[in-house]
Amino acid sequence: MKSDAIKRTETVKKLEDKTVPFSSNNIRLSGREWIIVAVICSSLFCLGPGLWGRIEKFKPGSDYRLPYKLGNDYWLYSRYCRWACSNYETLVVGDSVVWGHYVSADNTLSHYLNQYSGRENFANLGVDGFHPAALWGLLKYYGQDVSGKNVIIQFNPLWMTSEKHDLQTEKEFHFNHPKLVPQFFTKIPCYKNSFSERFSAVIERYVPFLGLVSHLRIVYFENMALPNWTLEHPYGNPLSAVKLELPTPGDDLQENVSWTEKNITQVDFQWVEPAQSLQWRFFRRTIELLEARDDKVFVVVGPFNEHMLKPESYETYQKMKNEFGMWLQQSNVAYCIPEVLPSKLYRDASHPLGQGYAMLAERLFENQSFKSAILKEDHD
Amino acid sequence: MLFHTWPFALFFLVFYPAYLVLKGTRLRLPWLLAASYFFYTSFNPLYLILIGYSTLVDYTVVKIMAKSQHRKIWLWVSIVNNIGLLGFFKYARFVTENLNTLLSSLNIPYAIPEPGFLLPIGISFYVFQSMSYTIDYYRGNMEKENSLIAYASFVSLFPRLLAGPIERAKNLLPQLHKTPKISMQNITDGMSLFIVGLFKKVALADYLALYVDNIYAAPEQYQSPALILATFFFCWQIYFDFSGYTDMARGIARMMGLNLMLNFNNPYLATGLGDFWKRWHISLSSWFKDYVYISLGGNRKGTFNTYRNMFMTMVISGLWHGAAWTFVIWGAVHALGRFVTRELERTPLYRDKVPKLVKQLLVFAFVTFAWIFFRAESISDAWVIITRIFSAGWADPRCPVWALILIFTVWIYQFAYESRLRWIIDLAPVRIGIVVGMILYLVVFAPSSEQGFIYLQF
Repeated sequence: MKSDAIKRTETVKKLEDKTVPFSSNNIRLSGREWIIVAVICSSLFCLGPGLWGRIEKFKPGSDYRLPYKLGNDYWLYSRYCRWACSNYETLVVGDSVVWGHYVSADNTLSHYLNQYSGRENFANLGVDGFHPAALWGLLKYYGQDVSGKNVIIQFNPLWMTSEKHDLQTEKEFHFNHPKLVPQFFTKIPCYKNSFSERFSAVIERYVPFLGLVSHLRIVYFENMALPNWTLEHPYGNPLSAVKLELPTPGDDLQENVSWTEKNITQVDFQWVEPAQSLQWRFFRRTIELLEARDDKVFVVVGPFNEHMLKPESYETYQKMKNEFGMWLQQSNVAYCIPEVLPSKLYRDASHPLGQGYAMLAERLFENQSFKSAILKEDHD
Repeated sequence: MLFHTWPFALFFLVFYPAYLVLKGTRLRLPWLLAASYFFYTSFNPLYLILIGYSTLVDYTVVKIMAKSQHRKIWLWVSIVNNIGLLGFFKYARFVTENLNTLLSSLNIPYAIPEPGFLLPIGISFYVFQSMSYTIDYYRGNMEKENSLIAYASFVSLFPRLLAGPIERAKNLLPQLHKTPKISMQNITDGMSLFIVGLFKKVALADYLALYVDNIYAAPEQYQSPALILATFFFCWQIYFDFSGYTDMARGIARMMGLNLMLNFNNPYLATGLGDFWKRWHISLSSWFKDYVYISLGGNRKGTFNTYRNMFMTMVISGLWHGAAWTFVIWGAVHALGRFVTRELERTPLYRDKVPKLVKQLLVFAFVTFAWIFFRAESISDAWVIITRIFSAGWADPRCPVWALILIFTVWIYQFAYESRLRWIIDLAPVRIGIVVGMILYLVVFAPSSEQGFIYLQF
């Protein structure tokens, strides 16, 4: 027998429904049904990334580097990071200089470091376009496995060659990897994304399922949301696009031509001083982050193509190098500012050619600081 | 701060807990009013002046009307003020453009400067809502509102402020006065309405917009199949967009213990144009019926006058949607459609012999055709689209099959809802499955860009 109160409530409910119809559909769930929905959805959100990791083949081998077109796939980066951390002693982190923009996978810095060490010790965790502000975000939110490791982190002074590179222009400028920079509490003058975009970027960092969604878009749907993809492939079956195989890294960008052969002339860069530089500040923050995770950090500054600098620019750069060195020394961070490579071994302002990487690796192996910070650890 | 954006989610997260705490106190309405004004000024702080002015005038007019012997004069003060506001902000540019065209055709070398202000969001909706209060009071259909805060909350209630439903004072004001009873059922109902609305807007309307916007931006570049398909898609886009907004608005209001009226009732299942207008934008249709059609005489003075009143109501309704001749034509086309289907429904052959499905498809085809005028940028564009639909050759329309699948799934669902098969979609596992599917679809597949609502421009 229903109590009077319940009966009264039901009568009122019926009357209310009669005056204002609920809807033109019957998708109306009770509290209990919403709980079931919440349980199903949260299970899928929690278990989805892990399950997908088991289904999708990912076998990075020797000299592996993330495919160029998957540079925005932070979920895959995180997966690769995990794999690299469990298979390598030392991780080489940085931008396209570490990744090896103009060289094949077997001509990168990590490859030559492995060659000189005689075994597979160094993993290439460089990604194209990762300026220091983005690298900080990448390691903070997607590189949590990088803990208690040897980390060689490269600083590319290219990111300080102008206010634009240093993200300091007041005019909006669409730079690489905006989702990885701080969204609210550190002002980046050229970053003008809306509140919604910034908030979405923050949410994505903490919900791996959203990272998986981005991964699916980047890998299988040409970096598009499904609706946009169906416009490009109107008769395509979205399910058949999901081939469960990741693209191979490829060496499409390989180009063994020096900057002088490309007729690139000397440049007078408008350097941003380290004290004012956002990128340098983020780089320092990245070092602090890694050290807080008990990583043994070794910094490589450059090797910048000093041959490409006009005299005034060259002078400023020398002063900047001193400042970098002073800060690293004061902070007790092991580092090396390698001597400039021969001119013909550069492809542009910052990227060495294959032989350049070999020479850089050789110089690192000769560097005392590198020996004690990285190789000593290895030999132990 | 639209419903499907993060800023709104954060706004609601701040507003709602405080609302629940204050719901039984005298601070409930001031809090609701403050939140509504904050919501509105997030688009432009100057809007506050306008909505404040409109609210104060109608509130004061009714106060004076209550004591005055010349009630009709005060009614006209309210009507002229409201129509004047709309005319100034919404139609000034339209009138100027037309006058300039006229001057130019008469070879008069003078052009009136075009007004530089923008149309304030939601003005068409809250002006009509406020006007209904003065008219209803004048007609003796409701009591005078004594509390300015309650009246201001009624005009500016944030869930329905931007695009309706256009609520009547006699429905909403009493709800605002009562302490709302917010049960678990209110909250879950609100969530159910909101998720359906969000899905309609983000997963469906914004998706179809990608195709429609391309084609309608340059119709002369497309052949018949693409133009037909874009019009078919727009037909669904505008439904998903507007009814999605309304669902979300009703869901939010429901969570606050307020019942807003049903605004869309599966309009593409209508069997006649009259039926269509009882299912499409119901709050506006009934507003025009009560305050324009009936004021003009309704169906009381013979067939000719009935059709004249119907025609005028539909044309004014068209003009309400936008200050352009395309909207006037859209209204006129619908009026003609109403005449035809009204007459057809009087014949036994059509009424009894023609299957319901055929009637539904005929009405759907007609409504879809009329949307061409609604969506086209200009009359000449509309003409290009119509002529090319009937004369241009065949070319692959590059129809996204996925969009068709989604549309037909919704259509079939609606048919099932209004048929004997309703018990199937009423089963708990089916309802739960649909909601889970919608949430997953929104997270995994929805377009990444945020688009505004079509009806905000009206």
